[in-house]
Amino acid sequence: MGSNEFSLSGKTALVAGDSKYWSKYAGAALAEAGADVAIAARNTKRLEEAAEEVRHQGQKAITIPTDTTDASQVQKMVEQVVAEFGRIDILVNASDLLFARPFLEVSEGEWRRVLDTNLTSAFHCCQAVGKQMIEQKKGRIINLLSGLAERGVENFSAYCVSMGGVLQLTRALDIEWAKHGITVNAIGTGWMSEVEKTGAPQEELLMKYMPLKRYGHPREMGPLLVYLASDTTDFFSGQFLYVDGAVMSHL
Amino acid sequence: MATGNGTLAGKVVIITGGGTGLGKAMALLMAKEGADIVVAARRVNAIEQTAREVKDMGRRALAIPTDVTDSQQVNSMVERTIAEIGGIDILVNNAGIVRGQVPKPLWELSDEEWHLGINTNLSGAFYCCRAVMKHFVDQGHGKIINIASGNGMRGSRGDYMYGTAKAGVINLSRVLAITFAQNNIQVNCIAPGFVDVRHMQPEPPTSEVTRTAKFIPVGRFGVPNDIGHLGLFLASEASDYITGGLFPNDGGGLAGGVTPTGYAPVIEMEED
Repeated sequence: MGSNEFSLSGKTALVAGDSKYWSKYAGAALAEAGADVAIAARNTKRLEEAAEEVRHQGQKAITIPTDTTDASQVQKMVEQVVAEFGRIDILVNASDLLFARPFLEVSEGEWRRVLDTNLTSAFHCCQAVGKQMIEQKKGRIINLLSGLAERGVENFSAYCVSMGGVLQLTRALDIEWAKHGITVNAIGTGWMSEVEKTGAPQEELLMKYMPLKRYGHPREMGPLLVYLASDTTDFFSGQFLYVDGAVMSHL
Repeated sequence: MATGNGTLAGKVVIITGGGTGLGKAMALLMAKEGADIVVAARRVNAIEQTAREVKDMGRRALAIPTDVTDSQQVNSMVERTIAEIGGIDILVNNAGIVRGQVPKPLWELSDEEWHLGINTNLSGAFYCCRAVMKHFVDQGHGKIINIASGNGMRGSRGDYMYGTAKAGVINLSRVLAITFAQNNIQVNCIAPGFVDVRHMQPEPPTSEVTRTAKFIPVGRFGVPNDIGHLGLFLASEASDYITGGLFPNDGGGLAGGVTPTGYAPVIEMEED
């Protein structure tokens, strides 16, 4: 996304929440397009990796160890980003705690943890960053989700519910905040892996089912994120778009 | 449903493609509920057989040979229904070719093949809706049930005309529903999944169908009455406040569809 139309030069982004891939790959994509990026999550090792990617693109990076399930930590996170960057143009809600277990065996603690991490984190971040964006009269919120926000898979009940919750938050906030110049969109990723998958019977079964016969690489999410974060999308809001190798399209 | 208490007593139903499969199942279910039935399709023997079975149930029935891709024939069929039965309350657009297309590379598809697929599965439904709608508006009520397909909601490899036409049927239903909502006309759409029209009762999948059935969460093909009962619901007064709806009836297929059946891993939460 090197084109000027989609440039994020001069913009500041916040990638918030713990996930296996998104601190790093969302951060790298936004930085490559010219944004300075704040990255907030609990996992400090991943924070540093992500910051390294951002700096490698020649952009400013700040890391803010944050448990996004805790509203007061999220408030401090936002204050710190505003203190250092002056504003927040782009919020990426990146929490993605994967979990799968037969429904009858899911404990209440597991249920709450999945919902807290994936859904309540987005609530806290949207509320805290939203205040700032309303003052700015402009903002971009992009929620990184899974296609499972709209579909079921055996054993993924808690995860599906958490993702579906953020998708509906996307639509509700889109309506509520359109008047403030804030767009709210979501990206649904398909099956992703940093390494080429081979061997395990469940993975083979899954790959045969995919139209492209392969997992996506998390970096393949980046261009759509940049597009949604760019100035070209003032009139584009409330949508759920997939980067999934067509897995959501086929019968 | 199918209570036998005359849910559709006194109603007149036109069912296109009513000689076999889903259409015939719906004709018999609706007749059982008290409806008079007009079956309109090309195959004369098949529609006459359905009409005989309806008459055997003590209802009025008409078999009107009709090619729904010919709007003149559609208009005549509707006029004859009004003349001979005295009205129309419900239209079921069921005629269509179930994946009748020859698999071939896209660049070898002729204009004729394209138009045949679109005409049979989409234009036919439009002609029928158009032919009954003035009558529905004048009488102040009417129900249309369009049979689409899961293929109209998702893509299927090489399925150019059928899936595209069925997607058109889905949106035609919404457009008609919105346009005629205030005329007390309900237009709804059923999207069947894989239905084995050869069997009226669920069969254990044979090897020929196992591969496909594996991708249906309930683990079997649908049978005609699976769809028929939904048609009956949408034909009855139970659906008077339901319009513009899309009702998949597919053994759960569309709810998933991102993994094959049997993909059920256990993934522990990551600790940090």
